[in-house]
Amino acid sequence: MYVRKYFPGNKNDSTMAVLTKKLALRSGNQMVAEGAIKAGCKFFAGYPITPASGIYKGLIDLLPVNDGIAVSSPDEISALAYCVGASMRGFKSMTATSGPGWALMIETVQYALITETPVVICVVQRLGPCTGGATQGGQGDILITEFATSGGFTIPVLYPSTAAECYEMTIEAFNWAEKYRTPVVLLSDKEIGMTTESIDYNALEDIKQVNREVIKHDDPMIDKWKMYGFDSPDMIAKFAEIGGKVKVTATGSAHNAMGNLKKNDPETISTIKHLEDKIQAHKDEMVRVKLDAEADAETLVISFGITARTMKDAVKLARSKGVKVSSLTIHSMFPIPEEAITSAAAECSRVIIAEENLNGQYRTMLAEILKLKEVIGVNSMGYMITPEDILERIMQ
Amino acid sequence: MMQTEEACSYMTFGAVMPFCKGCGHSNILKKLNDAMQMLHLDPMDVCLVTDIGCIGLADALFDKVHTVHTTHGRSTGFATGIAVADKVLAQKKLKTIVLIGDGGSMIGLLHIVNAALMNADVTVIVANNFLFGMTGGQTSSLTPEHFNTITSPFGSMNPSLDICSIADASKAGFIARKTATDKDLTQVIADAIAFGGFSIVEVLELCTEHGTKRNDLKGNMLAKMAEAEGHELGILKNDPLRKEFSLKYHDDVEVHKGEIKPLKFVEPLDNYNINRANGFVIAGSAGERVQSSAGMLSEASIKSGLNVTQKNDNPVTQGSGFSLSEVIISPNEINYTGVSSADYVIVVSENGLKELKGQKIFGRINDKTMFIVDESIDLGKEGLNVLSLPLRKYCGADKAALGAVDYIIRKFEPFPHEIFAGIIAKKFGEYGKIFKEGYYEL
Ligand code: SF4
Ligand SMILES: [Mg+2]
Repeated sequence: MYVRKYFPGNKNDSTMAVLTKKLALRSGNQMVAEGAIKAGCKFFAGYPITPASGIYKGLIDLLPVNDGIAVSSPDEISALAYCVGASMRGFKSMTATSGPGWALMIETVQYALITETPVVICVVQRLGPCTGGATQGGQGDILITEFATSGGFTIPVLYPSTAAECYEMTIEAFNWAEKYRTPVVLLSDKEIGMTTESIDYNALEDIKQVNREVIKHDDPMIDKWKMYGFDSPDMIAKFAEIGGKVKVTATGSAHNAMGNLKKNDPETISTIKHLEDKIQAHKDEMVRVKLDAEADAETLVISFGITARTMKDAVKLARSKGVKVSSLTIHSMFPIPEEAITSAAAECSRVIIAEENLNGQYRTMLAEILKLKEVIGVNSMGYMITPEDILERIMQ
Repeated sequence: MMQTEEACSYMTFGAVMPFCKGCGHSNILKKLNDAMQMLHLDPMDVCLVTDIGCIGLADALFDKVHTVHTTHGRSTGFATGIAVADKVLAQKKLKTIVLIGDGGSMIGLLHIVNAALMNADVTVIVANNFLFGMTGGQTSSLTPEHFNTITSPFGSMNPSLDICSIADASKAGFIARKTATDKDLTQVIADAIAFGGFSIVEVLELCTEHGTKRNDLKGNMLAKMAEAEGHELGILKNDPLRKEFSLKYHDDVEVHKGEIKPLKFVEPLDNYNINRANGFVIAGSAGERVQSSAGMLSEASIKSGLNVTQKNDNPVTQGSGFSLSEVIISPNEINYTGVSSADYVIVVSENGLKELKGQKIFGRINDKTMFIVDESIDLGKEGLNVLSLPLRKYCGADKAALGAVDYIIRKFEPFPHEIFAGIIAKKFGEYGKIFKEGYYEL
């Protein structure tokens, strides 16, 4: 992209060339905050928890000067309840926490899901279980974020690997929340969230903001409109704002398409089922993966989050030793990008899945689709998986 | 049930109350409707947030206003988000009213307390019939002592919570305790809704299905019962002096927004001398600027045009024990952020050394790794490239790590030293005077 003007040996050259880069040192947490602003977030409620507090602080500083507001809440339950309330009023909202706080939010995230209220929750993972290790990393919340609902509805989950991707995927997370009227989890982990790194702002992907479609009282289709109505699995009803001229009827209980509590009613059951159907109907456009394919590779390595970076180094080392290996970084964890995974693995006989948790949470999710392959896990608890850990399994 | 369509501006005309005969809820909801009418509220400017329990069935009756039926106890939490967003970000028209029972008010007590502390523009109506009605009449935290319920067949063991006192302790501006049959209940609810800020009205009432069957209780005995518990009745507080949340927020932002520092960016030079990644491990004690020295190294590196990662580590209590940073600087993309084969290891205190040994530092070096340690440190291992320097003596404990980093940049020049000198000068003043004289001769 640029021409190096400086070489060792002419150190005293006083004419230093300036690169066409706009660099900054930022943590992943800070980039989540900046991404939220770019996405149009106007409301944040925060409760402190290591390693997620940087997002809270970032938005406390950024929102007041970006026509928004960040408030401190007395616990994580309130934090998410405030966000859902603000979103129902019509504003893009977000909170951030770690495993212990997520445990408290599980009730309210289900409320957002069943009321089809857009909201983004960033879960910056740390070592578990329970309060675990506040300043230790981990990737052990993959299944608890996804399977947080009674009934097992898909909560879309995005997982960046770098601080720059934190920015980009925060915007995506908001866009998904708005477009599909759903809570979206942005997964992160201590090593991404709290590590600072150089970012070239000129190289950040320019992702366009998506805003929810809002129903107006003079909409020509107003007579047909229902709060949770749909004609086809892919349809997302227009959103009614509290305070707008179209009445909002929201409830956390099983309801019909109008939002009215109805028991033993076929419409109610199909309205609930639609919560899942709408995500499945759009899952092809929700695939976010990065494939680094090598022809004739026998092994495919799959990873995500901080470990995806380690995987890249391991793959580089393996290739330098003449081993043919491909890698797949997964960003859209859920819905699981099944086709992208099976097609990446198609020509390989072995799949290595690297993740920093006890027994391979995501690996268990892929068992069915990879059942004809030899599947190998690289796992750790309490320390980062190293490139050597992955390399060892590639070379076996 | 109200008789005319006109009287039902907010409720469904002709709707049958879903409550048991004689239940106090019917009266409370009727009076809520009347209170809104008294205030001439546009129904589309009203958001009724209902909690779980029999009282939570109200949202189905108020079909002309926005209704949000929530999870148990959380109603005030959702209402706070709705009200704050409306007042700070939108047209400030909304009246947000919570209907919650005695059970819900305890499970969601912190939401009530915090809404009051914030002075969010929310009105909470607590329909207190001293028990969980919907689930069969179990004891709640607002059940009076000796009151008989199915789960306190010998009489409730605990005294009841005085939620109005809790609201008072939470600095709520409007607090009232009434009974469902009070003649002025409509007016009191209207006053609470009109109040600019947080307001709460506790309404004592009967659950005819579970309360009156097990206790010798009639409507006119509610006031006495409250008094026996030491709970006052009437409008207990009506003090509009505190600013409603959004007003205070707007004032604060107006006054202080200039203090928020803009984000910092660097236009990098293209001036460095390394063609591969260099890994630094810097260890010392908390309070010795280990991580901020690493930060200055990172800042100088990006200024020179290099990529950087900086990973910090410390115990949970940030101000004690060890402090550690791992910095990688590289002309290439940096993936793995840990230093697995260090180029430089800096150790300026015993705390730092202890932690490094715990993190198996001697397994993360190569035969060229340079150890820059304070003269007081004994690494306890042979065959290493060690530079032992009087860092603490010349740089002080608080700048020993900085001195070590500076020393590396001076001697090994991964990028021009003047960049680093410039950055530390900006923070500490003239470069030649930051450390004691002897340092510059090292
Ligand atoms: S159970 Fe009690 S609270 Fe519920 S409707 Fe009947 S009388 Fe009212
Ligand atoms: Mg009750």
